[in-house]
Amino acid sequence: MNSSFEVDYAKIYQTIKTGIPVLGDFKITQTLIVSWIVMIIITGLCIFLTRNLKIENISKRQAFAEMLVETANNFVRNNTGGNKFDHLIPFVAALFTTSVVSNLISLIGLRSPTADLSTEAAWAIVVFVMITATKIKTNGFGGYLKGFTTPIAVMTPFNVLSELATPVSMACRHFGNILSGVVIDGLIYWALGLASAALLKLIPGAVGAFLSNIPILGLGLPAVTGVYFDWFSGCMQAFIFCMLTVMYIANAAEEG
Amino acid sequence: MNEKKNAGKNGIFFIALLAFFVALLFYVGMTKKVEPTQELVTLVPWTFIIQILNLFLQVYLIKKFLFKPINEILEKRKNLADKVIREARDAQSEADSLKEQYESSLTKAHTEAAQIVSEAQKEAQAKADTMVKEAEEEAASIKARAAADIEQEKKKAINEAKDEIGSLAMDIAGKVVEKEINEADHKKLIDDFINKVGA
Repeated sequence: MNSSFEVDYAKIYQTIKTGIPVLGDFKITQTLIVSWIVMIIITGLCIFLTRNLKIENISKRQAFAEMLVETANNFVRNNTGGNKFDHLIPFVAALFTTSVVSNLISLIGLRSPTADLSTEAAWAIVVFVMITATKIKTNGFGGYLKGFTTPIAVMTPFNVLSELATPVSMACRHFGNILSGVVIDGLIYWALGLASAALLKLIPGAVGAFLSNIPILGLGLPAVTGVYFDWFSGCMQAFIFCMLTVMYIANAAEEG
Repeated sequence: MNEKKNAGKNGIFFIALLAFFVALLFYVGMTKKVEPTQELVTLVPWTFIIQILNLFLQVYLIKKFLFKPINEILEKRKNLADKVIREARDAQSEADSLKEQYESSLTKAHTEAAQIVSEAQKEAQAKADTMVKEAEEEAASIKARAAADIEQEKKKAINEAKDEIGSLAMDIAGKVVEKEINEADHKKLIDDFINKVGA
């Protein structure tokens, strides 16, 4: 049993040399592999849920699928106040499911792709581009630029900063919560492993030496702490991310 | 038929994805030598780009496999419900118009019946009236005829009585006088007398 604590870093499985200066080498990391697993899980689930769709006399599976779609529709429509942003529904739904499944996949022992800042940064940049595009579409490019000088021209740097802070804060909020969950889970397992090793070494002879390698105390408690650090935090962060996405885009369309 | 075929296509698509993933895992597993790790907090450009693409791919997949079929089904069901409601409304309005029709015809029948009854009553009254009138007239004529008959009988009786009295008087006078007198002379005399008496 290793007695020093180490955080679960994302492993790099394969490095492909590209020679492109800024982007660097293409690395197949744990993040990417698990992301693809997440995508396969979600897509498989969608295909499973929408098999044998009927108009009448529907199965529980179809009722569940319809409930999911209705929930997504209502979520976007209620938060934007109308049907103006219906084209966003699949995007928000994909963002939410990917986030939730990515967060919760740590429960089956894989490393969450969301415990890698690149993932959240990618999502936040996409959302940022959508917000900016909506603003430009609403107010025109001149109006968009003019929006930075409100209420007075002196405020311009701060407005630019706050604009840039949006994606940064979105990405870092999500990433920080999930990473903290990973670190705390790791700490709990490490501490429980040490505790059970210390406890079982009290048994004399070879039996004690063998049993002390099994972190028997790690069986119950992580499930309890996991309710908050994995389940609640994971779902909450996905929800917050999607909520902010919808809110920012709806606000962007209202200005001017 | 079409749906089944589509489901089969989706299944094949999914299996292909799975196979691709498994192959990738094997490839990575076979070729890995050491397991270097990346920094805990870092931005890897390629991961960043791939994750953006992944997100859009996921949007496409979720749209194709969840939202499109479910929204289609919801739309179909909505149309069906609309149709049922529309049909029910049509049936309702039809029933309403029929009811109105029945009601109006019923009212008409009622008034007609009332009219018929009143007409019959009027007719019966008229008939009764005429009958009574006829009866009265008949009675009056019978009465008049009876009165005339009586008058005639009276006259006849009086005339007969006159004749009787005349002849009687003559008999009496004959007997009194004991002598046959000229009947014709005396007849005039007696008639005068009787007339004076009758007056």
